[in-house]
Amino acid sequence: MSETTRAEATGPTAGATGVDAAETDSAAPDGQGGMPAVHPRRDRRRWLLWGALVVVLFLVPIYLPGQYLIVSTWVMTGAVGAMGLTMLIGQAGQLSLAHSFFLLVGGVSYTVLSSDGTDGFVGLGLPTALSLVLAVAISAAVGAAFAPVSGRLTGIYLGVASLSLVFLGWWLARVLPSIAGSTSSGRYADDLNLFGFDFGEKSPTLAILGVPIGQNERLFWLYAALTLIAYFVARGAVDGRVGRAWRAVRDNEAAATVMGVSVVRQKSVAFAVSSAYAGLAGVMVVWWYDGLLKPDEAVDSGTYSTAVAIAYLAMVVIGGLGSLGGAIVGAAVVFGTPLIIPLLSQGDSSAVLSSGGTAFSPVVITYLAYGALIVLIVLFEPGGLAALGRRLTARLKRS
Amino acid sequence: MPDTTAHPTPGAPPADVPAGAREIPTLAVEDVTVRFGGIVALDAVSFSVAPRSIHALIGPNGAGKSTCFNAVTGIYRPTSGRVTLGDAVLTDTPPHQVARLGVGRAFQNLALVAGSSVLDNVMLGRYSLTSGGFLSYGLRLPRTMRAERRHEERAAEICDFLGIGAHLHRPAGVLSYGDQKRVDIARALAVEPTVLLLDEPAAGMNASETAELAHLIRDISTGLSISILLVEHDMGLVMGIADRVTVLDFGRLIADDTPAVVQKDPAVIRAYLGSVEEESA
Ligand SMILES: Nc1ncnc2c1ncn2[C@@H]1O[C@H](COP(=O)(O)OP(=O)(O)O)[C@@H](O)[C@H]1O
Ligand SMILES: [Mg+2]
Repeated sequence: MSETTRAEATGPTAGATGVDAAETDSAAPDGQGGMPAVHPRRDRRRWLLWGALVVVLFLVPIYLPGQYLIVSTWVMTGAVGAMGLTMLIGQAGQLSLAHSFFLLVGGVSYTVLSSDGTDGFVGLGLPTALSLVLAVAISAAVGAAFAPVSGRLTGIYLGVASLSLVFLGWWLARVLPSIAGSTSSGRYADDLNLFGFDFGEKSPTLAILGVPIGQNERLFWLYAALTLIAYFVARGAVDGRVGRAWRAVRDNEAAATVMGVSVVRQKSVAFAVSSAYAGLAGVMVVWWYDGLLKPDEAVDSGTYSTAVAIAYLAMVVIGGLGSLGGAIVGAAVVFGTPLIIPLLSQGDSSAVLSSGGTAFSPVVITYLAYGALIVLIVLFEPGGLAALGRRLTARLKRS
Repeated sequence: MPDTTAHPTPGAPPADVPAGAREIPTLAVEDVTVRFGGIVALDAVSFSVAPRSIHALIGPNGAGKSTCFNAVTGIYRPTSGRVTLGDAVLTDTPPHQVARLGVGRAFQNLALVAGSSVLDNVMLGRYSLTSGGFLSYGLRLPRTMRAERRHEERAAEICDFLGIGAHLHRPAGVLSYGDQKRVDIARALAVEPTVLLLDEPAAGMNASETAELAHLIRDISTGLSISILLVEHDMGLVMGIADRVTVLDFGRLIADDTPAVVQKDPAVIRAYLGSVEEESA
């Protein structure tokens, strides 16, 4: 009994998820003689699938109208952030309500690094691609700096402590308008410019199949690429040594330690990785708003508010804690529905963003819908949509 | 039952050192005291585990056996005393570096990641033998991936040796209790330990499973020729396979000798066998 006394104090998710590494599907072991075949031959098919996906994503902006592209890119912003959070909560067992704070860190860092310091704003005028990489690195470093707190607290205590970061960020952004822009008019960051290809191009000369490739189309490509890369990197890490260490820390700290894992260090690594993903999402948010960085007026509503922190939590719960694919689906549900509803009912998506007070705006409907979805998932399918999907495919395979 | 003859030298360490050629140091518990508030869980206990021996640590419930394991693996800091493995002082080593010094441990209560595959669980044992962080795995650096595959093969080999090779890709949580115990032991062996700590491996097993386990422990001992420190309640199992037995009672060492001698020790019979009779009554 004794060794579990310390071990039982794990994160909020201990063992409940069942959505761990990718290789848990029950593949029949082949290769009886000689070396054991550890992984059945699946690699080639996997690369083909990735290739097909890239081709499809390349063609999407040519066929999909701009309004839908705007919804898609917003969903991908959420997907990148949610992948970070699902690794932190679902894999490493660390609750965080600070995700929107790290979005702000990423957005502010990119803006300060990339824009030149005119109009009294602080700006370094670095190349945009470099600024992107540095903004992600800065977000990771700020996440790691939270380690003394994240290493000591678990569960809901950590959640509450991390929530204070959102308040800190809100306050800092208000008192430092030369860095974050003012709450009324904000400030502008530069578009990403890769080898002369401007991803924010408003008056394009480039056209494919008669479709002008402007900002919407370009951002879709950029966001799709970033989402794929974010997924690919996370998948490799989660299936590898780091992911194993995180899951061990989540489920049994004593066992993790005995196997050689430094629990304190891995908690800090998980926080840094999650913050880096949030930071990238934060840069994507700024680009999505045409380069506008604008701090929130209130701490509980706006782009970097507690409401957004909770929306991210909703994404990872709906998708299934710890599941990367689930995080993407969760982002589509939570970020996609409020924008897609008015489109389907003949509106246009920009109306949604300004629709503030009406009683049953799409935003309110979505809040109600995903609130209900979370309750249903917690009650009936703690593994989220990811577990539901796995069960369905298993059933299809059997029949 | 794992068929040891089917696998070429199951215990060959990764560096292709033949089993038996590796130097196995003595594990020495020296005057260790562990106190929890008023409770003295271990009271100046000293004993040592001879290289390549099967050493049993027995005693009634609450005697301090698991506490002793926790002191050895650095989970608990002893109030006084020290534990050494050869020249290394385990009690001065950060707990997560004890594995690297050659200590593998299986837990009394299953401590597996239930949702992860058997292979993934056992691969955790390779943690200190491998390197590479978030980015090297995320970017699938060729060097990292090659090492990963090599270590996966070794982990699969260990699973075969323990008779769970058919379950590599199944979630550990769906296996039978006995198989999950084997996964736990496989994970401890994946550390490539020079001393293996087994905490009540037969707990919750029936008579035939226990007999199989006794075979397995002997196979590990002869196949890998490492030291095994075994906490066990099942007297039959202990007396059948142990080279030496240390008996604890209320944190104090009351006997330390061969099974034959310990079995006849009046203090042991009073403390340990007496309590077993009480328990089964
Ligand atoms: N973390 C702990 N905190 C307080 N008391 C503990 C702790 N771990 C063990 N003990 C106490 O130490 C004594 C020995 O426990 P343990 O080592 O688990 O015994 P055994 O494994 O021999 O059954 C018991 O009285 C137990 O309650
Ligand atoms: Mg015990």
